[in-house]
Amino acid sequence: MSDSGGNRRALNRRVFLAGSAAASAAAVSGIALAPPAAAAPVASRTPPPTPPHLPDIDVRDAARRDPTEATLAEAAVLMGRRKLKATTLVEAYLDRIATYDSTYQAYSEVTGKSALAAARAADRLGGRRGVLRGIPLCIKDNYFTRGVPTRCNSYIFEDFVPDYDATAVARLTAAGGIVLGKGQMGPLATTRATTPNGTVTTVNAWTPDNPATDPGGSSTGPATAVAGRLAASSIGTQTGGSIVLPANRQNLTGLKPTMGRVSAYGVIPLSYTRDHPGPLARDAMDAALMLAVLAGPDPHDPRTQGLPRLPDLVRAATPVVSKGKVRLRRATRIGVPADFLNTATEVRKAFLDRLSAIPGVTLVNVTYPDDWSLLTGSFNDARLAERTEPFRHWLREDPAKFGVSLLSWLQGLMLSGDEWITAQRAKNHLLREVLDGVMARCDVLLQTGPVPFDILGLPEIAFPVGFTAGAVPAGVILGGQPYEEDRLLEVAAAYQAVTDWHTRRPANPARTAATANGRSAASATAAGRPRLTAEQAAASSA
Amino acid sequence: MSQPQPPTQEQLDAYIRTRLALAGVDLAMLPETPDPATGVPTRDQALRSLRSFVTAGPVAIAGWTPPVSGAPAAVYAQQAAPPLLYPSITEAWTGKADGK
Repeated sequence: MSDSGGNRRALNRRVFLAGSAAASAAAVSGIALAPPAAAAPVASRTPPPTPPHLPDIDVRDAARRDPTEATLAEAAVLMGRRKLKATTLVEAYLDRIATYDSTYQAYSEVTGKSALAAARAADRLGGRRGVLRGIPLCIKDNYFTRGVPTRCNSYIFEDFVPDYDATAVARLTAAGGIVLGKGQMGPLATTRATTPNGTVTTVNAWTPDNPATDPGGSSTGPATAVAGRLAASSIGTQTGGSIVLPANRQNLTGLKPTMGRVSAYGVIPLSYTRDHPGPLARDAMDAALMLAVLAGPDPHDPRTQGLPRLPDLVRAATPVVSKGKVRLRRATRIGVPADFLNTATEVRKAFLDRLSAIPGVTLVNVTYPDDWSLLTGSFNDARLAERTEPFRHWLREDPAKFGVSLLSWLQGLMLSGDEWITAQRAKNHLLREVLDGVMARCDVLLQTGPVPFDILGLPEIAFPVGFTAGAVPAGVILGGQPYEEDRLLEVAAAYQAVTDWHTRRPANPARTAATANGRSAASATAAGRPRLTAEQAAASSA
Repeated sequence: MSQPQPPTQEQLDAYIRTRLALAGVDLAMLPETPDPATGVPTRDQALRSLRSFVTAGPVAIAGWTPPVSGAPAAVYAQQAAPPLLYPSITEAWTGKADGK
């Protein structure tokens, strides 16, 4: 099988070996964060990304009839053709928020007035703004938003109003995106969305009358907002599955990029070495457009520097049709771990059958190394020290401010420095096991859980593949090589070109009244909502 | 190599309380009975959870060394798998990941 990407990786591995001694010495001496001067095949700065171009796509009839049905790309195309105004689109979303968000509870804060003002300005400017011009977005409430409360769903931040935007938010609005509001989330980005005391808030958009159905977390509100057509797209953060899991559970395409692709400046930290900002979207193209805007170097976040150029993500998310048949843009070997069919077996079998029928796809059986469950299980605890460190002030001042989430912050104090370093050593070992072992014979890898690739900072894409017996969406997670988000998008886009799972939307819930400005009226209605205990919150924490 | 006796529950509790105190965290600031308003765990809940935690995860982590060939293994293990905070970024900074 031809694979120029694989050959390039092999070449670079040889280049690296020549300079590995210097790199290792730097790591041992504690300066592993500094780009090693001796191994210098990369530029010292990440090249600024080329602004994405708007794809020329067909717009579905459903999207023409109802602008909230449109994907981000469809809405952008309609606006480009002057068939849709930003004001119309924003008003349509605000109407749905006013009607349904008391049930969904996707938003912690709705910025209707400023969103409408931005929409009017976008309409006045016409085509002179970026690719997201006039697109209404939901922002997870752990991103700083200037002048807008950023509570991270915690007593700690209940009165916090940032005086600047997180870099990711600034990039979205600079590209023309319109912030509709802040997305409800698991307290401090830990679990599914609950109030700080553990009472469930946000529901799965597919089962709005059953709050017991897991909507996925911690980017719960951003997921429910997009699934329930309360926003065109959204951004979440992922430390332990918090983008891909809600995407899977609510029929969305979620893309957790490689560590450093998107700046985390202005994001309230959970586990600093694992916090990844990324989009939750309606399909692969929308995820590509969002990431293309979000990605790029940021002087405030050194992890974004010295990285490979961002590939053409819009091209990657554009399906290739050859002789009337969809094929993969590049031949791709897709690893299937032995336990992949252990859950959602029928749906996953059907998925593999459909996937393997796409020309260019080769399924490859892979096995995990013997220490896989140890290095991705017990070693997952190492992240806890990272969440504790930036929160010591509040632990000392008033631990009750952590509410139901306190336990894992206390646990972080129980890990010694040498144990934390051992966990970083294990990351290196695990990385080699993944890239040189598990993925030695494949280009991308189907995942049975997000944590291993979260530990390593490797990219993952989640996309829908069907429904379980309870009519709840089922999805899969595909993991990739570092900085190869394009390969993930190519696979997801080809699969979505031959299936329609991603175009399905949940039915509307029963109508209830709420407000389109200020805090959602439903945020105080806790009747009938389940409640997490402190132990459950610790056990299910991202 | 001699193995120390596993700590008793009293020793664990003393260790946890001491560690928290050294970090400036006062367990007495937590309620003695459940507080539905905040959802914060009680002192007993916190102590029980931490007791379980300190005897599981950190022990498993501390018991691991990178697998190596050669003897003595502990010496060779020191040279193996230098700690990395950001494995993916290191792949880029060392030229092993170049994107497309």
